[in-house]
Amino acid sequence: MTTTNQIKNENGVWEEGIAREITFIVTKDCQLACKYCYLVGKNGGERMDFELAKRVVDYVLTCDVFKNDRSVVWDFIGGEPFLEIDLIDKICDYIKTEMFRLNHRWFNSYRFSFATNGINYHTPKVQEYIRKNHSHLSIMMTVDGTKLLHDMNRVYKDSDRGSYEDVVKNVPLWQSQFPNAGTKVTISHSNIDFIKDSVLHLFSLGIGDVNINCVFENVWEPGDDIRLENQLMQLADAIIDNDLYRTHTCSFFWEALGKPMTSNENWCGAGKMMSVDAAGNFYPCTRFAGYSLRSKKPIIIGNIEEGINLNKLRPFLSLDRITQSPRECLDCEIASGCAWCQGENYDAAETDTIFQRSTAICLMHKARVRANNYYWNKLFRKLEMQGLREEWDKTKIKCNTTIC
Amino acid sequence: MQYNYMLKYLIIQLSDKSPSFCHYVNNRTEERTIAPVLLGKAILMAMQQNWTVQIVWPYHQISAELKKEIEKIDHINIVPSSLTTDADIVVSETVSDLVNLPSGSNVVLRSALKSLEDNVLVVEESLARFSRLNIFLTDIEAMGEKDFEQYSAILGRLANKIKSEYAKGHYVQLNSLTDRMMLDAMNNCNAGFESVTLAPDGKFYICPAFYLDGSESLGDVESGLKIKNKQLFRLDHAPICRRCDAYQCRRCIWLNKKTTLEVNTPSHEQCVVAHIERNASKKLLDSVRELGEFLPEKSIEEIDYLDPFDIINEK
Repeated sequence: MTTTNQIKNENGVWEEGIAREITFIVTKDCQLACKYCYLVGKNGGERMDFELAKRVVDYVLTCDVFKNDRSVVWDFIGGEPFLEIDLIDKICDYIKTEMFRLNHRWFNSYRFSFATNGINYHTPKVQEYIRKNHSHLSIMMTVDGTKLLHDMNRVYKDSDRGSYEDVVKNVPLWQSQFPNAGTKVTISHSNIDFIKDSVLHLFSLGIGDVNINCVFENVWEPGDDIRLENQLMQLADAIIDNDLYRTHTCSFFWEALGKPMTSNENWCGAGKMMSVDAAGNFYPCTRFAGYSLRSKKPIIIGNIEEGINLNKLRPFLSLDRITQSPRECLDCEIASGCAWCQGENYDAAETDTIFQRSTAICLMHKARVRANNYYWNKLFRKLEMQGLREEWDKTKIKCNTTIC
Repeated sequence: MQYNYMLKYLIIQLSDKSPSFCHYVNNRTEERTIAPVLLGKAILMAMQQNWTVQIVWPYHQISAELKKEIEKIDHINIVPSSLTTDADIVVSETVSDLVNLPSGSNVVLRSALKSLEDNVLVVEESLARFSRLNIFLTDIEAMGEKDFEQYSAILGRLANKIKSEYAKGHYVQLNSLTDRMMLDAMNNCNAGFESVTLAPDGKFYICPAFYLDGSESLGDVESGLKIKNKQLFRLDHAPICRRCDAYQCRRCIWLNKKTTLEVNTPSHEQCVVAHIERNASKKLLDSVRELGEFLPEKSIEEIDYLDPFDIINEK
């Protein structure tokens, strides 16, 4: 945690790590065919039926598995969820009605959450939905960065035309309705060299928090780590030299990054959430649905007919960092913040297991840590806070590799 | 061939019609027997690697050629109850069959809970005749609360019988009740870690059940043995089991995979069954001590859960 109000903190996510997340895969359709999207080619026209959605809501609101959760996030994903705004509106009305009718504890503690490509954001139906539910909404719009970068990957599926103009025109409306909303940018081999310009561009659009991360898939080529480091160093200079740290955040720079790990907790929340598809199958996270996986069978933890199979949840809920990590990760002195995706771990594993951590991101994490150290050292010096950093270093905790 | 330091046992299933000696079911009906040349190579490999060999004999006769290969190495014979000659371990598929088995046998009894309950008197009487009885429930994954209560009651009856035998100085052995009294650490199946199986197709598998259910092999006698993610078969990579003290638990790797999709994660039902046995063992230990000093250095703590997953999940 920073100790000065001169540095902006990222806006917190509502009930993060506390709320139960229930995800409806309402459609697999999308206007775009993004070049990095793992769903492209596998996303047919399936859409969720309202009657099925009602049954899912009924099940979730009365299921013992969720009885200790004080809050809920009802998440709608696709494809592009706003393609199904009529269906979503009906589902949300039903959720609210049932939570009220049941005097459910979640009635006063819920959110509806969306990640959208932004193309339909301005349409009357979407705007009416936002008006109805505004105080319980969390909407994240994806803009990759500059027009050049965005249009390189985020193209219409029929014409290969870039979608930048159609999305960015909706950013002011979105930001005016949700001033604290951030965007999410994904970095892979092809867009490393655009990071600095893209983040600064997103800041210039009025977006305060840019959540950005490298993909977990093994897409990296030799030298990518150095390119990433260079981009982040340039971005660090731009943010610090222009005092942007006062008003903006970029998740690549995080004070707690790159320290030895002491916690044995799993990084990923798979299994603590539940995803439902149009066939009524339950998944520990959308990444375990068939259309998200490259080479493995889907992991289905139940269905609307039989409910959740608790035995299939046990591996997810007992999974810890030490059990799934190779020795080099346990011994790593800069392990904190090195993330993983349970679905990608499963997809990349040698056997059908979630207990084998993929290390494809290792060199990128190390590059990020070097640039992150540079960022904080430079920023602390500029703000004449070096002493605080040295004090922190003295109390640095040693890596704990005990298996417990 | 690289030396595999961890493995200690090679189980050789001679035929598709060899009996199951554990929780799994063998429904194969075709008679497929291992080729003598492959068996010979596997036995040579076992000799070089210092593995203890366990031969699972079929219901039918085997060729003299196969017998000749088997005799090249010290081994343990696991034999169906219809062929008890030279058996080290006799496998019985029905409780009623127990009465026909020779005294002093080391017996594996595979039984569904209901059958065990219906024939518990036979089991009580047989316990006193055998050197050891190993009961494997064949329907653990289907068990519910009532079944757990019934199993607990069955173990209570068998514990009384064991106590009465102990009172006579006859120290009978029943895996579900007496093992835990003696153990200080986990003593489980350990398939994939301490043992692998050679199947009739000449390929290696984690255990016979993985062969019978069509799982991927671990290699063969020609290309060698490769256990992918082999650390996951070790206790220290089993987040629930490594903090458990139901030391007698079979920790069946195949049931784990079948029920939770992970080899290192047991189902709720497997954990509860193991803890019912553990708690019954504690009662037996306390009860036997009423007869006089007995295993004074051993102790089984009182606990208030039947599934260690609940403890993990509370955190």
